[in-house]
Amino acid sequence: MFEKSLYDLIRGLRNHKGNEREYIQESIKECRKEIRSNDMDLKSTALMKLTYLEMFGHDMSWASFNVLEVMSSQKYRHKRTGYLAAVQSFRRDTEVLMLAENQLKKDISSSTPTVISLPLIAIPHVINPSMANSVLSDLIPRLTHSQASIRKKTIVTLYRLALVYPETLRPAWPKIKERLLDDNEDPSVTAAIVNVVCELGWRRPQDFLPLAPRLFDLLVEGGNNWMAIKIIKLFATLTPLEPRLIKKLLPPLTKIIKETAAMSLLYECINGIIQGGILEAVEGTAEGEDIAHLCVGKLRGMMVIEGDANLKYVALLAFDKIVQSHPHIVAVHQDVILECIDDADISIRTGALNLVVGMVNNDNLTAIVGRLMRQLRNSPIASATDVPVNDRARETGVIPVADSDDSDAEESLRVEKKSNQAPPLPADYRISVIQKILGMCSRDTYTNISDFDWYVDVLVQLIRVCPATKTSANLDGTEDADFSTSGNHGDISYEIGQELRNVAVRVRSVRPEALEAAQSLVLVEQRDQMFPITGNGGQGVLECAGWMVGEYADLLTRPDGVMTSLLHTSASHLPSRTLAVYLQAIPKVFASMAGNDQISWTPQRRTLLTLLMARVVHFLEPLAMHPSLEVQERAVEYLELMRLASEAASGTETGNDNGDFVDPPLLLTQAIPALFTGLEINPVAPGAQRKVPFPDDLDLDTPINANLQHILQQAELETISDADEDDVYQAYNERIGTHSEPSISISAADRLDTPKAEQPSSYQNATEDEYLDSDILARRKAERRERYKDDPFYIDPDRDRDSGVSTPLHNILKNSNGEELDIDAIPIMDLDLEKQERGRERDEAHRQPKRKPRRNVEIIVDETLGPDEATSSRDGSRPDLVRSAQAKGKKSLLEVDSSGLGSLSLEDDGAGTSKLDIERREQEEAEMAKALKEVERLRLEMQRAAERIQARDAPPDGTLVKRKKKKARKAVMEAPEETREVDMGSLPEGDHEEGLAVKKKKKNKAKSEENAGGDAPGDGAEGVVKPKKRKKKRQALPDEPVAETGSRDIV
Amino acid sequence: MINAVLVFNNSGQPRLTKFYTQLETSVQQRLISEIFTLVANRPNSSCNFLPLPPLLASSSKSSTPTTPHNDTPSLVTYRHYATLYFIVISTSTESPLALLDLIQVFVEALDRLFENVCELDLIFNFETLHATLSEVIVGGVVIETQLDKVVEGVKAQGRVAKRPVNEGKGGLNLGAFSTRSRDFP
Repeated sequence: MFEKSLYDLIRGLRNHKGNEREYIQESIKECRKEIRSNDMDLKSTALMKLTYLEMFGHDMSWASFNVLEVMSSQKYRHKRTGYLAAVQSFRRDTEVLMLAENQLKKDISSSTPTVISLPLIAIPHVINPSMANSVLSDLIPRLTHSQASIRKKTIVTLYRLALVYPETLRPAWPKIKERLLDDNEDPSVTAAIVNVVCELGWRRPQDFLPLAPRLFDLLVEGGNNWMAIKIIKLFATLTPLEPRLIKKLLPPLTKIIKETAAMSLLYECINGIIQGGILEAVEGTAEGEDIAHLCVGKLRGMMVIEGDANLKYVALLAFDKIVQSHPHIVAVHQDVILECIDDADISIRTGALNLVVGMVNNDNLTAIVGRLMRQLRNSPIASATDVPVNDRARETGVIPVADSDDSDAEESLRVEKKSNQAPPLPADYRISVIQKILGMCSRDTYTNISDFDWYVDVLVQLIRVCPATKTSANLDGTEDADFSTSGNHGDISYEIGQELRNVAVRVRSVRPEALEAAQSLVLVEQRDQMFPITGNGGQGVLECAGWMVGEYADLLTRPDGVMTSLLHTSASHLPSRTLAVYLQAIPKVFASMAGNDQISWTPQRRTLLTLLMARVVHFLEPLAMHPSLEVQERAVEYLELMRLASEAASGTETGNDNGDFVDPPLLLTQAIPALFTGLEINPVAPGAQRKVPFPDDLDLDTPINANLQHILQQAELETISDADEDDVYQAYNERIGTHSEPSISISAADRLDTPKAEQPSSYQNATEDEYLDSDILARRKAERRERYKDDPFYIDPDRDRDSGVSTPLHNILKNSNGEELDIDAIPIMDLDLEKQERGRERDEAHRQPKRKPRRNVEIIVDETLGPDEATSSRDGSRPDLVRSAQAKGKKSLLEVDSSGLGSLSLEDDGAGTSKLDIERREQEEAEMAKALKEVERLRLEMQRAAERIQARDAPPDGTLVKRKKKKARKAVMEAPEETREVDMGSLPEGDHEEGLAVKKKKKNKAKSEENAGGDAPGDGAEGVVKPKKRKKKRQALPDEPVAETGSRDIV
Repeated sequence: MINAVLVFNNSGQPRLTKFYTQLETSVQQRLISEIFTLVANRPNSSCNFLPLPPLLASSSKSSTPTTPHNDTPSLVTYRHYATLYFIVISTSTESPLALLDLIQVFVEALDRLFENVCELDLIFNFETLHATLSEVIVGGVVIETQLDKVVEGVKAQGRVAKRPVNEGKGGLNLGAFSTRSRDFP
């Protein structure tokens, strides 16, 4: 059989351009054969090839037992392959893991450092709680291994053990701490410990306070920037617990900021000062002023520095961390931050976007939203076809294709490269921008918005920049549905629609404008204009727009057009939810069109209405068979209603042309409108429904009519067609008489008076033309002109063209600026006259942000009962968003859960806690050691007496004792033989021990002679199992605590 | 801590995948694919930090403000050398700028081991590539940032194989290292 090495496999791949897939399948088949071979070399090579292919997504879980076989090989080369395969391929459900345990324990206890490293590196990838308990006893002795590289790996491995099995820390932490406090420890090991402590630190900062002095010394000593960064990060979590640390930390941190050449360290210093609350702590003192000035100055420097985008990005991250606690600091740098919103780099944009959401207020909302809108509008919507170009095959897994150009792969890595293409604006980013805009505007029930007309226009504009939705993918029930970020609809335009609806419901004064917007969205003939040109984006808004045109049908300026659009054939292809809303809207609009009882029932009117009803019936009929139950039910209901109305209309005599007033049918003017009018709909807080108390006498269990079954049966017997139309007609009329309410929900006066209260809008809208489309803009201008028609102070840019009247000032401006002057386009600087004052009153200012006197706009807040529950969020206007955010509490993909550490205290509180095996063993061992010391002393005395008698022949009873002892010690004391030997030799204890050490040395010599043939020490392991065991018994000396010997490691 | 280290080339072919949590193979591939899509389109002037890929972003917003850090991966750092992208996914306990330097250390160590390293070296010696990474990061925690010690650690495990002679075409030296100095030795 032809056997391939990994090298052959890769070469083969490169030579099989085009049909890699078959080649790989072939190779895997070969591997399956080879891996069953008894030849370890062949087995290990096959495993190596499989591991290589696993990287490309080819499953190798079937080979897990073979992985174990290779791991247990005696040769290091094989072992390494086996361990790598285990790390790369073992998953949570890999069953052979139990069998791996012994191999791991064995290799941890190996005498060869490179072999020890293998399990140390592999354990973090495969560990589970039960295994952790078992290997812990083998790992702990490795903390005192003579080689620093083993010690540092052991420390990290123990940390990962602690993550799945927190009890690990109880025996391990004192030893790790000992290492950390040891000045003579290898700097690499100290750094590794600091890294681990930094990971542990934020979970239980209080446990690490005692280490603060040592960490402080390490920080001041300097030398290792990585470690310094970690220490600073750790201190940032400690300072809130120990305010005295701040005074101590400030000088060294300031020094580092001023002196260090390492940008990363500089940045983390500033970050640490911010996060550790040091700024607040020293606020008010001269020192505090200095440090704040220094930090913020450096951050600003990072923002404006040319050519290093990384600094810009991290500075944004730092700002983002302080924006909640120190909005004033961030606000000062608004200028540079806003610049970043338009950065070419999507990462920086996203960072800036998150940041501005935190710093938005009444003053800058328009400017910020304007910038974001401009960005959305000016970059083309990425079409769906753009995406898969860079998307590697998703479901099929990736095939390692032969490289198209080999010379590419030979290019030296020394040059760091970046590609030069411009980034498209991905749909995810678009969605997040739109969400942020909606979030900023609707925050705290529209606190920051002063001009709702503007907001409605923004919403309309947002629809046009909506990215295409992935509805098809969601319908398939693919995984994508789980990951869709936007609300329960998976469509951002639905959220925009909700905002529009929210505004219409809450802000009465702007309701006509909102309705106008909804109307234009619903109108079919405007569809091209209102929605994105490409893709199906924005359709989700129709659900809310449809509801609005129905609910506030009286405000429609073009009810006919709306009705036509609702009945348009394209409407029946809408998603069923939207269609259901449309169905509800149709009778509402119809009611407002037909319900006027002030107009005489002329033949003309009758014809028109009959026609209209015929159209409605025509539209509804096919929908009575719609697959969606909701649509079907509504269609059937309104179909019947329309048929009734149609009969009523044709049955009512019309008046003559002589002008006599004839009453229209009451069904049209009274009954149908009464179905939809009543109390106005108000926003209700999420959760308010739950607070409505149950009436005491509410009984939901007793059947209303015990005879229901009987009645139903009877009803079935009766003929259905028998229904007396007159009766029905009568019934409708009667209901009207008793139940109907005034059909006008909003009086005309209501509609008129509020807009008058508006004040001139500021020139902050000056850049509107950059983000609003021309048609919206034209309308705004027209409205503005209308509004200020009688305002002598309003300079109308167009007026002089019409009237020829102009002011001298205007002439001057015109002369100096040329003909095409647009006052609106003049950028007006935001002169903040309050700034100085604010600086003085900073404290109050950022605790109670001054609210600009708002315009007289009444915003209806959520109705609720009793006090607000904690569950309902502050952002009450967007309950759906809140809900979806809460639902996302699940664990992230790559997350390593460390929450188990939270409950474990590292402080020695001793009593009460159950003892671990290893602790019990330690205790036993201590007692045993005492007893043994005595025994050994006696034994040595005997030995000395019989010096020439063979030392190996220990008395049988002595062996017994020793065996017991060995069991106890093995857990803690096992160090590699060589080390032990040296350690023993250097023990300054009594002569008797020295004597023993010498003996042992002899034995070791004997052993090495035995093994002389094998090159690797592991090779002959089986041959020397017995002597080894015996040796261990001998070694088990009452020697010193492990740590002490560790410090004498210098061999 | 560090959640994953990935290396792939300009066409998205993985050269090294190391996840410090156990993850289904198909999910691994999807994540690589998502990150590659993100990274492949970045212009020259961009920073070395990626927005979270969709697979990770979906659950990242649930962070609680009460603790300064959490276990959720929140940072994707990358560097692009010649034909290869080096990616590190980490939580907030890592410093973004320091991670950039860590990648640099890793690549410099490879360069020392292979003497003017190129993608082919890593393809044919992917075991050494893994070994080098294990000298820098174990179980998601950084154990060594000093170049010499990393190189020493790998060399202690045995001879580092050179790329097969007939594969190389010589003249691989393309320019010197990027000028940005590392912040730690």
